[in-house]
Amino acid sequence: MNNFKSILTALAMAGASFSTAAVAQNAGSSLTVNFTGIEDKQGAIMGVLVDSEAAYDGKAAPVRPLMVAVDKAEVAAMIDNLAPGTYAIKLFHDVDGNGKMGTNPYGMPIEPFAFSNNAVGNMGPAKWTDAKFDVKAGANVHSIVVK
Amino acid sequence: MTDFNRRQLLGTGFFAGAAIITPDMALAGASPAGWASAVADIEADIPEETMVLMSGKVPAGLNTTLYRNGPAKFRRGESAAGHWFDGDGLVRKFRVRDGKATLAARFVDTPKRRLETKLNAIVQPGFGTPSRAGAVINGPDDTNAANTSVMMSGGQLLALWEGGSPVIMDPETLETKGFKTFRRDLRQMPFLAHPRVEPDGTVWNLGGNGKGTFVWKLNPDGSLAQAQMVPLDRNSYFHDFTATAQHLIIVMQPWVQDGFKFPLSTAMSWKPELGTRVLVIDKNDLTKRRMFELPSFAFFHLADGWEEKDGTIRFDGCIEADPTFGQRAASALLRGEYIKAPTPMLTQFVLRPDGKAEMQMARIAAEFSTNDKRIAGQSRRFTTHVTGYRQTPFPHAIASWDWSKGRDDKFDFGDHHLVEEFLFVAKGEGERNGWLMGTTLNLKAGRTELHLLDARRVSEGPVATWQASVPLPLTFHGTIA
Repeated sequence: MNNFKSILTALAMAGASFSTAAVAQNAGSSLTVNFTGIEDKQGAIMGVLVDSEAAYDGKAAPVRPLMVAVDKAEVAAMIDNLAPGTYAIKLFHDVDGNGKMGTNPYGMPIEPFAFSNNAVGNMGPAKWTDAKFDVKAGANVHSIVVK
Repeated sequence: MTDFNRRQLLGTGFFAGAAIITPDMALAGASPAGWASAVADIEADIPEETMVLMSGKVPAGLNTTLYRNGPAKFRRGESAAGHWFDGDGLVRKFRVRDGKATLAARFVDTPKRRLETKLNAIVQPGFGTPSRAGAVINGPDDTNAANTSVMMSGGQLLALWEGGSPVIMDPETLETKGFKTFRRDLRQMPFLAHPRVEPDGTVWNLGGNGKGTFVWKLNPDGSLAQAQMVPLDRNSYFHDFTATAQHLIIVMQPWVQDGFKFPLSTAMSWKPELGTRVLVIDKNDLTKRRMFELPSFAFFHLADGWEEKDGTIRFDGCIEADPTFGQRAASALLRGEYIKAPTPMLTQFVLRPDGKAEMQMARIAAEFSTNDKRIAGQSRRFTTHVTGYRQTPFPHAIASWDWSKGRDDKFDFGDHHLVEEFLFVAKGEGERNGWLMGTTLNLKAGRTELHLLDARRVSEGPVATWQASVPLPLTFHGTIA
């Protein structure tokens, strides 16, 4: 089931981007992302916020990395200084805290992963068109079920 | 003569014989609509009911439970599964206790079943079913039908599939408790529906086929003892494997996977020119391997194996001239069509210490081979099997083949019974000292029946028969608890 590996490819850069995160400072919108439905109350949510299909597909830098320690079934990330516009989030739950998306011996993802709008893929990551959402001026809230 | 020629020659002679003794090709296309209930839909769980004793007498003190699993929901809205192997698993609990028999059945509550119930459509892909709009596939267990067998493990009843995890069920209420995770990093792993259980309860199983297969070893308490990938030199499809006391035996038929796509069966090709290979792996050192060559055949099921003093390995199985059944006929069943596939034939395999391998035909039609599990891995004389293939795609008889006398002790339930796998229930010391317990679908009565036969007197017919209030579609495999 090699197609599942595209999920890994898609999410691998979520972890990698911590060292190269572009920090787009722009006094303006704020975004609160609620992560719900978490089954294992340990580890961290690791993901990226992106503002283009290219960035979503890993071909451009993300706007912001996301990393939220998990100690309960619902945790949240607060992101300030965003320019209003279209964004998407992709993430995985690094349950074992090793910084990588876990796989079984056949390479299947075994840690939860999710996309904004709770978009789902079909043997691969959800598509940008399904995951994109608008951030408007002022305070915004977006919720993602992680499981 | 080169190995290749020898293989070709053996193959030709072998199946020429098989064709002569099962001359039922004339029946191809004859499709009595009556068997449709074998693959009908069940809409709801079956609450526990007392079955009606139709004939015979319940042996005093008999206290046993037969769990069986099989697909029982194939169609939703305008859509249908594309293969018999892809329906939702319905686990049935037949219990005989205090002179009475009861039946209860519950569907395994899988992500696939939940999603398809919500959508009122069959969308998840499978062995012969394509992926359709609305499918959600984030891992193999999203497509898990949990419909092939069951096993007891550490006090849990596990519903087994083959491409994904076992599903935990409560053995009393049949309530689904979620996927079984033997170890955190072994989620979403394939686990065949044919674990081989040693007499002490140690379980060996395989998962997956391709460049390698995953070897599972469980302790008698159900915990994981060992988990390791072993390489294979052929992407052969296998639904079953077998074992002796000392070895795992992987039969690699020339039905091979060319890649990965849904439906799974469309990624598999029949390449008889490759012959069949048998890989023998030492249980104590999975790197110690031997390979044997056999003529081409297709198969689903094997029975337990054993080794003799000189190292000769024997096991038996039900083999077909080609995989037409799995490729096409089992799909056609859901459309009410009967495509005559090669009849499965009972065959003993002999792997000699000098590296030569042979097949010895019992020359009888047989499927769903089972044996006395108390002597798994030791030499044995009998193999229980279904037989009596004629007007319908399904067998009508149960039998016990005696390898030493070359004789089948058979009971034919008649044209209006479709016969499922029968399992051995031990009574006392000695192979076959006990009963055979199994089910049939009585087409005339429109009801499922539970039967108990004396394992040493199969041809005398059931010592007791109970009838349920409903017909249930046919099951694949089960376990005695």
